[in-house]
Parts: sequence; C-alpha cells; structure tokens
Amino acid sequence: MRLSKTRKLAGGATVGLILGGLLGLSGLAGCAANEEQPAGGGTGNSAGSAGAGLTGELNGAGASSQSAAQEAWRGGFAAIEAGVNVNYDPVGSGDGRTQFTAGGLGFVGTDAPFKADEAKGGHGSCAADSPLVEVPVYISPIAVAFNLDGVTELNLAPNVIAHIFTGGITNWNDPAIKADNPDVDLPDLPISPVHRSDKSGTTGNFTDYLTATAPEAWTAGETEEWPESGGEGAEKTQGMVQALTAGKGSIGYVDAGQAQDLSWASIKVGDQWVKPSAEGAAKAVAESELESGRGEGDVVYSLNRTTEAAGAYPLILVSYLAACEKYSDPKTAELVSAYLKYVVSEEGQKAAAENAGSAPLTSEADLTAKVNAAVARIGS
Amino acid sequence: MSVAQTLGKQPTAADAADAAVTLSASRPSLARRTKNRIASGAVVCAVALAAIPLALVIWAALTRGIERLDLALFTNSMWGVVGQGGGLLHALVGTLLVTGATALIAIPLGLAAAIYLTEYGGQRKLAGITRRAVDIMVSIPSIVAGLAAYALFSLLLGPGTRSGLAGAVALAMIMIPVVVRSSEEVLRLVPGDLREAGLALGSPRWRVIRKIVLPTALPGLTAGAVLGVARIIGETAPLLLVAGFTDAMNYNLAEGRMATLPVFIYTQWSSKGLDTAAYDQRAWAGALVLMAVVVVLQLAARALPPQIAKLRRNR
Repeated sequence: MRLSKTRKLAGGATVGLILGGLLGLSGLAGCAANEEQPAGGGTGNSAGSAGAGLTGELNGAGASSQSAAQEAWRGGFAAIEAGVNVNYDPVGSGDGRTQFTAGGLGFVGTDAPFKADEAKGGHGSCAADSPLVEVPVYISPIAVAFNLDGVTELNLAPNVIAHIFTGGITNWNDPAIKADNPDVDLPDLPISPVHRSDKSGTTGNFTDYLTATAPEAWTAGETEEWPESGGEGAEKTQGMVQALTAGKGSIGYVDAGQAQDLSWASIKVGDQWVKPSAEGAAKAVAESELESGRGEGDVVYSLNRTTEAAGAYPLILVSYLAACEKYSDPKTAELVSAYLKYVVSEEGQKAAAENAGSAPLTSEADLTAKVNAAVARIGS
Repeated sequence: MSVAQTLGKQPTAADAADAAVTLSASRPSLARRTKNRIASGAVVCAVALAAIPLALVIWAALTRGIERLDLALFTNSMWGVVGQGGGLLHALVGTLLVTGATALIAIPLGLAAAIYLTEYGGQRKLAGITRRAVDIMVSIPSIVAGLAAYALFSLLLGPGTRSGLAGAVALAMIMIPVVVRSSEEVLRLVPGDLREAGLALGSPRWRVIRKIVLPTALPGLTAGAVLGVARIIGETAPLLLVAGFTDAMNYNLAEGRMATLPVFIYTQWSSKGLDTAAYDQRAWAGALVLMAVVVVLQLAARALPPQIAKLRRNR
C-alpha cells in the first residue's frame, strides 16, 4: 500500500510538472536579463539621457529591405526610450501599405512611396482626413551580383544586363560581355539569371533602372513583380543570396548590404564603370530631384537613373517611412514622432549604415531641413 | 542481420547449410527464402534511406546550433540587440505560452467531439457531417487557419490586432482535428463489453463514459494530445501572421505581439544585418532549442501513458 502511494505521488508530480510548465508560465513575472524593468517599475529610462520617458508599444510593418536598418533603429531607440517597445514586421512594401490603409499600424516602411493622391488621406491608421508624412530613411545600392569561378571584377552595361535578364545573352563568353571586359578570362558557361519571385521593391527599382537606361533592350517597364518568364526565381532577399551563392554561372540583383560575400559587377554610368557603394548611392540621390506636387510633409524623390555624374551609382533603392500627420490616439502620435525623429537623426542614420550597409541621408542642409520639417508635422 | 547479408551478397556458412536442407520438406524452398531476403533487404534499405534526411537535419542543427548554445541565449531577449549577442528567452516563453493555450482550447474541444462520435454519434447525420468536417480540417493549409484567426480578431478587436491568443486560436484550428482523430481511434479500442457491463449495472451513460471509457482510454488519449502539440509547436506561417514578432518579453497572451521559436528562427534567417554570422548562429541555436522542446514532448508522450495507467491501477 505504501509503495502504491509513493508511485501515485511520483506520477502526480510528473503530470503536475508538465501541466505546470505549460500553463503556469503566464503567472511568472520573470524578465530577460537585457531588459530593464519598464517604466511602471519605476526605474524607467536610466540608460538614455535624451529620452522623454515615453512608454508603450509602437507597431510598424513594411519593406523587408529595411529590416536590418529597422533593427539598428530599434536598438538605438531602446537606449533612448527604455519604456518603448518598437515592432517591425518585414511583410513587404505592398502588404505594409495595405495594412497601413486598413488600420492598426503606427508607421509603414515602403520601397515605393504612396501615390500623390493616396498620400492626401483616407488611411485607417490615421485620424480622419489626415495626410501622410513620408520621408526617405534608407538609401542602399542594389548590386548586380554574380557567381563565376575566378572572376571577381566584371563590367556590365545597362543594355547587356537587360539582355542577360531577358534571355538575349545566354553564355558568359558572349561577345557583348567580352567587349566590355577585355582583360577578363570569361568561361564558356551558360548564364543563369536569378530574379525575385515575390513582389519586391528591389525588383521595382531594378526594372525602373533598366527602363531608364536600356529602353530598347528592356521593354517590360517598371514593375515590382518580375515580368519575364525565364530564369530562376528566388523568394526574398535571402533566397536570392542563397541562389547566387549556390549556382555557378548565376547572376542576380540584390541589396548590396545583404550580399557582402558575392562578387559585384560595375555598371556603366556615363562612360565610367562604377561599383556599388554607399557613397555612390548618396551621390546619385544628390543628383535627383524631389517629386513636385506633393504635400509639405511628403518628401519623395524622383530618382535620376540616367545621371552621368562622376562616381554616382544610380542603381539604388530609396526606402521611405510613412506615417500620419494626425493620429486619433495622442500616445501613438508621441511614439511615432519620437521614433521618426531618431531615425532621421545623424545618429540613427549612422546606426543603420553600420548594421545594414546603407548610405546615410545626405547632409545637404536643404534636404535635412525638409525631412525634419516633415517629421515635425506629426501630432494629434 | 546486416543489409549485405539480407541481400545475399556475402555467402556464409549459414547460407550453405540452408542450401543443403532445401530439399527437406520442413524448410521453405530456396526461391521463397531468396525472395524473402530480397524483400526484407529492400525494406531495410528504405528505412535507412528515410533515416538519412533525419540524421542530416539533426547533425546540421547540432553542429551549427551549438555555437550559440550559451547561457545568454536563455537569459536574454532580442530587445535592443543589434548584431552580436541577444537570446531567445522571449521566443521560448512565447512558444510555451501559445502552445499551452492552444492545448487548453484544442484538447477539451477535440476530446468532446471524439466522445460524441464514438459514444453518441453512431450513424446519425450530425456524426457524418462532423467526421467529414474533421477530414477537411486536417487538410487545411496552416496559413489558412492563420488567415481565419487574423480575420476573426480583426473583426472583434479592430484591424491589425496581433496577440498570442490569436496565435493560439489559429493553432487550435490545426490541432483540433488531430486530437479528434487520435481520440476517436483510442476510444473505439475500449471494448464494448465494458460499456455494456456498466450499463447493465444501471449506470447512466455519462457515468459509464466518465468512469469506464475515459479512464480505460486515458493513456492513449494523453499520447494523442501530446502528439497534437508536437504537430503545432513548429508552425511558423500562422504565427507570423497573427502573433507577429517582437524583440521583447511578453507574458500577456491577450495583448501585444508575442515572439515564438519558429518565427524567431524565420526572422533571424530572413532579415540579417551586415554581421550575418551572428544571425545565422541565433537561427540555428533556435532550431536546436525547438527540436529539443519537441523531443522532450515526444518523450513525455511515451512516458506519460504508463505512468497514468500505474496511477489508476494503484488507486
């Protein structure tokens, strides 16, 4: 009898342990070692000096190209406002904009800005009839990356790139490629072009660049969804990097910050060959004009893809943060305003450059003033 | 017996002896034994082939995940972390909470449905409809369950609502049919004689179910429930959609985004900074931890039923 009782106890303990482990956790009040007690606990923001002691949760979503930069901004912002938890879902620009219009988001990151009439209002996340604030926050060169044994330097003119991706040039020893690369020993190997299979801002900027620079060879126009039928498709930026790393003779286009280990082609700008770089990207932005006919809080670039300025690299991606001028909830407005102020600050731009390899916003006084004025419009 | 032997590639003394007695009527003919050996050899080969991917996955997760399997991984979240460092405590806690809540929803509902199907349903119309509905639910892609939960919570609590509870509801939609199926099988195994004996003694039906059918089937029911949990614990897509992702700890199922291990692995892999190694290491360590959690659950599924049976016997 005694034995059976101990057994019973042991069995009960096992069941209790497992059930308790699964269900009892919600009562647990532990905390991660790296997280300070939120402001409710009293200590609040001890790390930051500039913080305003804000608390709460701020949710954003959008372009996956920004995710590394967003991580840097979250990290930097956490040091300033220890009571705020910022979330960013890298669901893609298109989905992000749709969600923002449906409502429930504080801000959205997008590779393509809202259209001028969309930016005037009608978004569920904003107070009724509030126009949008859009500012460029992430500028990054798109690399034409390739995987060829023994070849690390390659010059590719826009119309050669267009022919490769439309299937007009199919072998690496094609005379058109040879002509621009007299010193490179090109192998007799079929070219395997890789494109993004998902709707992507990178594809949009790549096709926009080809449309502007090689209009005869690239006729599909600017599109976020890959228009050609041939070639290999890869999902998201990481899928592209994987496909290029694995496939000998492959070529693709990818955010340069995410493709450090691949070889990058130099593209033809004017009559020079230019490699992707943050400086080149910044220079190309400086050569571009702001789009006219938009509101004061709506700072959107019309990119100059055909610039011939020395050192400029016009195959770039400019990604925006969009937010509302007016929020129905003053607390959200406060959080968005503080976060965006940090993002466009010199400090925030530097943090993104270090973690994502992007180009910081040009320190042109004119643009800085416009961006700061736009962010200052956020309120409730 | 080794694979080579079963395939008959290496003649041994035993084979020679086999051949010598082929003519005796008491042994199967050589042809039959050869066929038998070829067939069993093929089966062993198939098992080995099926085990290779599993071994590779375990090997990959072990060798790569071990690099970041340190204490910091279990004491830190990703809050404020850029590049190196950080941990997955928030995701581990989230996975346990969401999975626990899912089990709380799915096990009672699934069990109730199974009891209806075996004890009351019979050939009734409603039972037929329920069975068909369960069949359909089993084959629902998990992302559809996620979308359904997303739509439900958006309608109830406003657009863009994300919470651990919404994730649990989505996962419950995937888990319920698994629980119904396995519970129904187990309940059918309870001998009809036991039920009849109970009824003959004048017990009402609910009492027979509670006192005789369920206790008899308990070990199997527990195993089915734990297997159902193992089925949903690795789901990524619906959680990515409805539970979202966050860097910080969140113990509150009802409010705010909640990180979970599969989503943690996915986000670490899909959005990397310049220092890609740090992200890869965290992703692999996350995969290793998730596998460990699943293995612990499976072991529990094996260990629990005998424990419970013992408990009952000694009562």
